[in-house]
Amino acid sequence: MKIQNGWHLVKAALEGFKRNKVRSLLTSLGIMIGVLSVVLLIALGLGLKNYLRQQFESLGANLVIIFPGNISSSEEGGGIANFGPGFAGGADFDEKDYLSLTRISEADYVVPLFMKSSVIESETERKFGYFMGTNEQAFKILNLETLEGKFFTKSDLTARTKVAVLGQNLADGLYEDSKDAVGKTIRVGEQRFKVIGVAKKKGDREQDNGVITPYKTSFGTLNSGKTFFTIYLGTTDEKSIEVIKRRAEEILLKRYKKGDFTVTEQTEILSTVNQIFSIVNAILVAIGSISLLVGGIGIMNIMYATVTERTKEVGIRRAVGATQWDILKQFLTESVLLSIFGGSLGLIIASLIVLIVRRFFPVSLNLLAVFIAIAVSSGIGIFFGVFPARRAAKLPPIEAIRYE
Amino acid sequence: MIKLVNVCKSYFLGDEEVKAVCNINLEIKDKDYIGILGTSGSGKSTLMYLIGLLEQPTSGKVILEGKDVSKLSDTDLSKIRNKTVGFVFQQFNLINRFTVLENVLLPTKYSKRDLDFDPIKRADELLTHFGIFDRRNFFPNKISGGQQQRVAIARALIMKPKVILADEPTGNLDSKTGDEIIKLLSSLNKELGVTVIIVTHEKEIAKKTKRRIYIKDGKIVEKYL
Repeated sequence: MKIQNGWHLVKAALEGFKRNKVRSLLTSLGIMIGVLSVVLLIALGLGLKNYLRQQFESLGANLVIIFPGNISSSEEGGGIANFGPGFAGGADFDEKDYLSLTRISEADYVVPLFMKSSVIESETERKFGYFMGTNEQAFKILNLETLEGKFFTKSDLTARTKVAVLGQNLADGLYEDSKDAVGKTIRVGEQRFKVIGVAKKKGDREQDNGVITPYKTSFGTLNSGKTFFTIYLGTTDEKSIEVIKRRAEEILLKRYKKGDFTVTEQTEILSTVNQIFSIVNAILVAIGSISLLVGGIGIMNIMYATVTERTKEVGIRRAVGATQWDILKQFLTESVLLSIFGGSLGLIIASLIVLIVRRFFPVSLNLLAVFIAIAVSSGIGIFFGVFPARRAAKLPPIEAIRYE
Repeated sequence: MIKLVNVCKSYFLGDEEVKAVCNINLEIKDKDYIGILGTSGSGKSTLMYLIGLLEQPTSGKVILEGKDVSKLSDTDLSKIRNKTVGFVFQQFNLINRFTVLENVLLPTKYSKRDLDFDPIKRADELLTHFGIFDRRNFFPNKISGGQQQRVAIARALIMKPKVILADEPTGNLDSKTGDEIIKLLSSLNKELGVTVIIVTHEKEIAKKTKRRIYIKDGKIVEKYL
């Protein structure tokens, strides 16, 4: 009996929509746009977050990262507010810093990194990529594997050989087959490099499009200032992380002021970045929710009109035994169906947009976003439907029956 | 079966209290066939709605099968209406976006207990009995007034009620069709033993009932003038 009753409600609501197709469609349009914008904004936020996480995960674990400026200054109370300067200003690390850091015995790897975006040329193609100057340990720290050829060694570094390892994407772009790359010569700016290896694709934009070279080779040319942007210290023993951090700080403080550099762990950076993105995302979603609100008000408006139109019907239903609760359920079913319909439509369109856009931009949808979209649209249906439905339920039966 | 004891019902028009009916004492027995006769505005419809539990009295008691129902909650009253009372209106009051069959089935949707009959089978039987089975999938605005009123009576009967309350059931019909409807209502009383109460302003119709109640200015009077 209960199920039959529920089905009766849904069927009656759907028949009502059929009679007012345009009106029902326009009403759910508001919710559709609201859900569409909220879901898209969530997808964008999630996509960026995932992108950043990938960037960090592509670095091995147990990593201490040193870079100029000041980000993780929670002990100074600055927190994420100081994130900005971390990317500009502060210390310029040079080879001397790198060599002093190699004296930390607890660090199994010490890897300096210089990076800039450049145009990379083969004989026939020109591609945009990332030029990197580093040492032979970088391959270990970045977890790179050879697809073709080999990686450069310590002797390449000291001999300043003009060799390069290409990321798989870049090799694919410059040559018909990435296998063809080994042995060829590429040009970055005015400098030529012989390709000795191709590194397997990892899903990291910079590495997959990278030209990885011994850092000394580009000193004075591509890296005219002989500086490094980042220095990584890796260890196989998680427990030494704290010691490495402390010792690195001591070493750097001999040359630089506190605040000119940051010594941090990968996980700390990740949580700081996540924090920022959560806030930005929350703000965006809040803005998107305004359209949901407007959509909800649209539903409320139409439901009030529907209640007035059906006053007589309410009277009839009450006379044959409908309780106030029955009437409330009837109108609530309609408003919830309207908003779920709009919400699903918005979700479908958002998913299509995500599918198209993800080729160019990091966006992604997850079950949570889908769940939120459906929960929010039915919530709106209930919230904005309950006032008109209450009005219908509270109509005095006699007056309702006589209503013309 | 239904007893009204000193029942008054008043409305407020702004600050002014208007007594629609007052001091009504009335007993309706099982299988009764009653005509409530009164002019327009005499309070006869209000009286009918009070008997049908669609209105609650301002004062006095409505007793249904020995139980005072005048203070019951909306939900309880609705349940009793659904089970015990069938209404027939002057305007037929069918829902135009539902078919004849769906209209007849409407009260069954609000039954809070399992039905002791198959609703569609019973609806078909009633429609057949009233000679409108071939109209079961029509919409109300596509059938004649007489047919609509039969649908309304079928709807009133579907839950096997104890009492049928008809408010000017012939008011929107021509005299021939009106006679047929009254005959139909009489037969319900005679053959099925349903209590039938017809509210009307027409003496001719009231004459067909077993017992007449005259109402004037909200009070039961001895004689209809």
